[in-house]
Amino acid sequence: MIGNFDFDVIRRALPYLFFEGMRFTLTLTALSAFGGLVFGTLIAMMRLSGYRLLARVAGLYVDFIRSLPLVLVIFWFYFLVPYIGQWLTGASRPISVGAFASSLITFIAFESAYFSEIMRAGIQSISRGQPAAANALGLTYGQTMRYVVLPQAFRNMLPVLLTQTIVLFQDTSLVYVLSITDFLGAASKVAQRDGRLVEMYLFAALVYFVISSIASIGVRRLQARISIVR
Amino acid sequence: MIEINHVDKWYGPSFQALKDCTTSVTKGEVVVVCGPSGSGKSTLIKCVNALEPIQGGEIILDGIKVNDPKTDLPKLRSRVGMVFQHFELFPHLRIIDNLCLAQEKVLGRKHEEALAKGKKLLDRVGLTEHATKFPAQLSGGQQQRVAIARALAMDPIAMLFDEPTSALDPEMISEVLDVMVDLARDGMTMMVVTHEMGFANKVADRVIFMDRGEIVEDAKKTDFFGKPRSDRAQKFLSKILQH
Repeated sequence: MIGNFDFDVIRRALPYLFFEGMRFTLTLTALSAFGGLVFGTLIAMMRLSGYRLLARVAGLYVDFIRSLPLVLVIFWFYFLVPYIGQWLTGASRPISVGAFASSLITFIAFESAYFSEIMRAGIQSISRGQPAAANALGLTYGQTMRYVVLPQAFRNMLPVLLTQTIVLFQDTSLVYVLSITDFLGAASKVAQRDGRLVEMYLFAALVYFVISSIASIGVRRLQARISIVR
Repeated sequence: MIEINHVDKWYGPSFQALKDCTTSVTKGEVVVVCGPSGSGKSTLIKCVNALEPIQGGEIILDGIKVNDPKTDLPKLRSRVGMVFQHFELFPHLRIIDNLCLAQEKVLGRKHEEALAKGKKLLDRVGLTEHATKFPAQLSGGQQQRVAIARALAMDPIAMLFDEPTSALDPEMISEVLDVMVDLARDGMTMMVVTHEMGFANKVADRVIFMDRGEIVEDAKKTDFFGKPRSDRAQKFLSKILQH
């Protein structure tokens, strides 16, 4: 098998794989992580707000999202969002959102549920004396969160957030169900076209492995540094 | 300055932390609150700036009712300094930024102004050279002095101290008490929860003794140390003063 392993197929596909595929994968990962962090933080604050209704809504959302398979939601969302858009705007035909927007919304919805659990743990890890001290100085709830609690929660949870982002990086490959050209999708297209399944899928695996491993090592170093500072 | 009238506080339906507490602190007065642990003294002082809500009675701070839902609590709190048992400096901010944060965000001071004020107060507590360090790099006593400076940076009309030396190693207690004694002699209105009877003896005008959520004694310092009227206060004093 190794004897007729065609490295040239990979070499020729490289620009396509990285400039099209990997660029899409990284863009989707970064935007989803950012959106997930923002909304996840909001959901975490809702759950810890002390307003029972807000906490309940946020809790139900997280439980709901976490009990669904991601790939199902990606698929389902892609076909549903046009109809929701139609319903919201009252248009006569389903609104086309495009595969990228649809998958981005799905991933943000999903990741915000996971990130919210991480941020919730982060916020709860801050001793109650910290917000008390901030309040005693006259800071409002919003200021206390923004300047005192969230920066500390974020710093404490940074390694976990990044680890979750590495998982997200791998999960973005699930957009293949929408025939999107992410990195895996690009590799898969070349594989089908040239009939070089072994080469392309092995190479794709290798790339995911290398990137994720390097990122993991980076996270571990960061973790060591943070624990010294604290 | 601080009026506490018939205050009741409950934790849940079954535990009453404060029972009909009435006392007051006038301008420039230094009042020490003491009593065995669990007697409600920390709870009482936290009620003064509404860090803990009360269920009955009223607390009036500089003419403003603290437990009125219409009161702008952040604004009111910004006028009263508070020092905590565990310092509660913000660990992610440098010392100088700990002093500037509330000045800028609450009082709206310009950064240069806040910085100048912060430096002046760091100098006052003798920690100028630590301005750019993080709290974790300072000793407990130094952190507590920073916490006092942070509260003073807001130009408070009164200061509340919640067991400021209880979490400190013995050799660091006096550096914090020295700052507090200075403050008292400058005429600051102070309410201090502490077991440091030496401090009480030196600068307090009045001593309040609490037990099981009640104010048992509320007397001039000389009267209190002379001859406490209640058995419970006498017992408490004999226990902490015998060493």
